[in-house]
Amino acid sequence: MASRSPLVCASNCLQNILFRDAFTISRVLTCYQPVRYRKRSSRHPEWFVRRRVKSFDEGLTQENKQFIKDLTVEQYKNKPSPLKEEPLERGEWDLRTRRTGVLALKIGVIPQWRKDGTKIETTLLQIIDNHVIRYSPPEKFAQSAGWKPWWGRKYGSVVVGALSCEPHLFSKEYNNLFTEAGVPPKRKMTRFLVSPNAAIQPGLPLTAMHFRVGDYIDAQAKTIDYGFQGVVKRHGMKGGPASHGGTKWHRRMGGTGGGGNMAGIWKGKKMPGHMGADWNFAKGLRILRINTKYNVLYVTGTTPGGNHCYVRIMDTCLPNRRREIQNEPPMPTFYPEDVTDQIQEEYIDETLFDFKEPSIEYIDEESNK
Amino acid sequence: MNIIQKHICRCLIQKCNSGNVPLSFVPARQATVLNWLLDKHRKSQLSQQPEKEDDIEQETIMVPRDYKYLYPEFLPPANYRHRDRIREKLERQDMFCRRTMIEVPEFYVGSILAVNVADTYAPSKNTRFVGLCISRENDGLRTNFILRNHIDGNGIEIKYDMYSPLLQSIEVLKLEKRLDDELFYLRDCPPEYSTIQFDMEPIHLPTGSAVPLNTIKVPLGPRPWDKKWDIKNFKGLQPSNRVLGKRAAIRLERSAKPWEEHDLMKQYRENINDEDVETVLKEVVLKTKKKSTKSQRRQ
Repeated sequence: MASRSPLVCASNCLQNILFRDAFTISRVLTCYQPVRYRKRSSRHPEWFVRRRVKSFDEGLTQENKQFIKDLTVEQYKNKPSPLKEEPLERGEWDLRTRRTGVLALKIGVIPQWRKDGTKIETTLLQIIDNHVIRYSPPEKFAQSAGWKPWWGRKYGSVVVGALSCEPHLFSKEYNNLFTEAGVPPKRKMTRFLVSPNAAIQPGLPLTAMHFRVGDYIDAQAKTIDYGFQGVVKRHGMKGGPASHGGTKWHRRMGGTGGGGNMAGIWKGKKMPGHMGADWNFAKGLRILRINTKYNVLYVTGTTPGGNHCYVRIMDTCLPNRRREIQNEPPMPTFYPEDVTDQIQEEYIDETLFDFKEPSIEYIDEESNK
Repeated sequence: MNIIQKHICRCLIQKCNSGNVPLSFVPARQATVLNWLLDKHRKSQLSQQPEKEDDIEQETIMVPRDYKYLYPEFLPPANYRHRDRIREKLERQDMFCRRTMIEVPEFYVGSILAVNVADTYAPSKNTRFVGLCISRENDGLRTNFILRNHIDGNGIEIKYDMYSPLLQSIEVLKLEKRLDDELFYLRDCPPEYSTIQFDMEPIHLPTGSAVPLNTIKVPLGPRPWDKKWDIKNFKGLQPSNRVLGKRAAIRLERSAKPWEEHDLMKQYRENINDEDVETVLKEVVLKTKKKSTKSQRRQ
């Protein structure tokens, strides 16, 4: 950073064109690998790009604001897309491939019924405006800041963004991250590890058709933030009695350890502290229903986090579930040109009850005989 | 920040869901996306497939006044944290689809219903149950109601999911309302107040009449009870003979809340705003035009 010339610093566009592969352009590479201890600090990592600029009142009229809005929309429509260039080679799927995931929003939990009449809870996940923003092959990825040595050279990385915004909300540095993909700046970004045969081109949109009905997925999200909590809520300890002489002994922890040789409090003792706001997985969820009009996935069970939280969805890593896959999933993602017939508005699993059908009736097999 | 300020902040967020009201305060930093912001993104022209505006919002349909009470399960919960425009819409689509297959009649807590359900364990694979509706809960696909009857010396209560595909038919034998919203106190009342004959014939009301209100006051049976019903201030209960102690008398006093009907803030907190109610009910009017037999009676 120190060797940057002042001329280049002055215009960010120059940076992009000249030094795309050099050190000057910052790469957003975030690490969501779960760790045994908590990683919370107020300092930003080295690769962090300042996102927001200090807003100030420009004194624009309502008409002027609208004019700027329309102009940005026009600009991004006419922007030369990287997709018009020669596309990357599409690889073939095998059991060890890792495709990209998508960044969805959890929009609620509703009940659905199976065809045998059992009631199940399903989580609705909406995929809004997802685009591939950057792909780095394994060799390049190994040089970047977020790389961990135990990954080896097996995986490249894909950055996916969701919810496009107007560029004047963000800093120049942040907006420049999206020039490669040719899309408006995104509100949220994540990174997925991908195997080299699932290489994907920046600028491609990702929709709900990235998955099929009957597929198994893993969902990763941040759990609800409960703040500083006591031992009863955080670890489910019993506390003390409500009556019978329990004075100041209702929600306390009890003993912390023994005496003698092993005396003292051991490391990892369950104690009061911060609860929630932690990355968590829900693995092996089955997709039961897909709505292509609103890009909504209906998934069995519940995912971590509250309503309207971001959820990272990827193909499941559970080996027994992966072996169940019979048809190859779309590689590296779904292209509308692949399908000859029109895309349906809704795809429903065989086991799930369709509300357009008449109500379920059990047949008496003995009387039929 | 005291409680009132916090509450006003929450209300402001709730208000911002419907229109483009500029936020005058900065909400706390959180990992979730606010409703109004998400809706802005869904409709913004910068996105890949911007969502089209609904035709229903622009249409001029007169919504009958009683639809709010006729179809209570279509109205979403008031808590803005549990709300989402698209999820509610998809949920409603399923509900309308189910209503084309099975007729869900108009009924209230206190009405007598007969329900047919598919059952694997019954010899005829189908069971019919007749009972008094003692509660009606939840919204959307989660809606359920409880029927109570007294058979062979046993009180029996069955909870049914209204949109379960196992339901074959719902029939109203007697349409009426009671003084209370929940009739759980019938558990501790004499059995004759919750016994209904299975071969009861449906009572038809004359056309154009309003729903009758049953003002019966039920006596409580001997103690022990499931709950202390006598200090909960139910309108449909006779005052009991129990001599109240000092503590119970205070609780009885507290349970009477005559100011609640004038509490505007409470009403605001527990109901969604009128614009949202209208957009939901307009959809209901359009989709339930064909088979509104009971509602025709009341118009």
